[in-house]
Amino acid sequence: MKQINAVLEGAGSMVMLLLRAGSYAGSLPRQWARFVEQCYLIGYTTLPIVTILSFFIGTVLALEAGYSMEGFGAKEFIGSLVGLSMARELGPMMTSVLLAGRVGSAITAELASMKVYHEVDALTTMNIPPAKILVLPRLAAVLVMMPVLIVFANIVGWFGGSVVARYVSSVGISSESYFAALRHYTKFKDVMNGMAKAEVFGFVVVLVCCNIGLNTRGGPREIGAAVTRAVVTSLILILILDYFVTKLLM
Amino acid sequence: MNSTQQTARVGLFFLLGIALVWVTFETLSDGKIFEPRSHTLIAGFDDLRQLKTGDEVRLAGVRVGSVQKTRLAGRHAEAVLEIDPKVPIAGDATATIAMSGLIGGNYVAIDMGTPGAPALADGAEIKTLTTPDLNTLMSDIGGLGKQLQESLGTFSAAINGDPKTGGGIIQKLEKILADNTARLNATMTNLQEITDKINRGDGTLGKLVNDPKLHDELLATVDEIKATATQAKEFVANAQSVMDQVKSGQGALGTLVYDPKAAADIKASIADLRSVSDKLAKGEGTLGKLINDDGLYDSAQVTIKKVDRTLDGLNDSGPITAVGIVANALF
Repeated sequence: MKQINAVLEGAGSMVMLLLRAGSYAGSLPRQWARFVEQCYLIGYTTLPIVTILSFFIGTVLALEAGYSMEGFGAKEFIGSLVGLSMARELGPMMTSVLLAGRVGSAITAELASMKVYHEVDALTTMNIPPAKILVLPRLAAVLVMMPVLIVFANIVGWFGGSVVARYVSSVGISSESYFAALRHYTKFKDVMNGMAKAEVFGFVVVLVCCNIGLNTRGGPREIGAAVTRAVVTSLILILILDYFVTKLLM
Repeated sequence: MNSTQQTARVGLFFLLGIALVWVTFETLSDGKIFEPRSHTLIAGFDDLRQLKTGDEVRLAGVRVGSVQKTRLAGRHAEAVLEIDPKVPIAGDATATIAMSGLIGGNYVAIDMGTPGAPALADGAEIKTLTTPDLNTLMSDIGGLGKQLQESLGTFSAAINGDPKTGGGIIQKLEKILADNTARLNATMTNLQEITDKINRGDGTLGKLVNDPKLHDELLATVDEIKATATQAKEFVANAQSVMDQVKSGQGALGTLVYDPKAAADIKASIADLRSVSDKLAKGEGTLGKLINDDGLYDSAQVTIKKVDRTLDGLNDSGPITAVGIVANALF
């Protein structure tokens, strides 16, 4: 019962935080500097790790597809498998997981420490809503940066697959054949589908991490626990939402 | 890092991302936000097998659309095909369900139809042809294997046979060999002798094989036959040339055969000849009477006799009478 109450309390506070942040949407242009800073942290600094991860996801996909499809004589379809998998599923999901691990944890840690050290209380005392200056710029930044990260992840992943398809002898198909199959079966709507998913995942990750950070109670030890809780909750929500959003977008 | 640098990096990153989105869009969708409006065709089949929504429609192997949906229509199934409106489908084109691979992929294959045939309109029904699918083929192959097994069993039974009825083919062959060993040995001995004789050059065949002179003569004979054949060819060629000339109406024979005027003249001549011969037969005219009237013959014989006697008289009176005749004539 206590667990259920905690889940419901967390869901309720998250919705309330979203509504409060949304009510200050008009103030976003005046927070341009904060918005750009968050874009830098969420997008620019996350790009290297997204690129590395996506490249190797593409390579592994092509390798596994080559191994599996060889028995069917269907190796020519590796491009389509990598293309669709990256665009529709792995690109958005793995980028969101990375976002939760790298950016979400940082957000929770920052907000939790501000809460623990009463900086949030000070802001409230000065009539500066935390949702306005701490949450809104992050939510806006993640909405802007996620599509950019996703398109990078997709292209790098596709390229990684083509490298394996061309240079690994057990796969051994030409780049032309790989990209022809990719182009033939992967449509731009699949890429858009993935971007829509990523927007939802990214938004939820940032919202959850902000909420858990702002609701941290106790001493400095709670900061670490809050970070762990935020990342775990984000990952679980990503996987649960993945099913429903995929179903919705089909 | 100052705020300006941070903003510049974020801006560059964002613009690069937008550019990549655009490149992806151009690459995957050929720069079209909306799919061009397609027209639909209805293809009815007894069994759609594993055809499903989204499967390809190919015209002569080139993708021209996809299966929009599948549905039941009475006692058969229908596939609604979305076709690129820029690709006209001939009215007599035929659609079949084809396999794109062994893992169960299917597509609708449409042939080109007759050139110049009017194109099918939007919503029209296309002719279909049911081809055997993999399951049917496998079933047929299974039946074929069973038949092959039965045939092999029959063959094996024929080979091995029933020991009570004297065994199979091999046993019978063995028995024949055993019964006729002496004859076969004699035959082999005869064959050996014949080949020995041939080797020694005995007999016609031996000489033919061993004697170079006979070989040369045979070659000469063959050469003569070749020369004769060449002459025969030339003769035939000449005859062909003559025939060609005749056919083209050249020369007397050609004129005779192919000239209508000459033919008419010949007919008229034959008719005249017939008329003359009829008259002769009837005894009309001088010649007819000469031929048919015996009296004329008798008279002629009498006259000839008289002339003969006169000439004899002249011979006896000699030149005097002749001079006298001439003198009488002159004086």
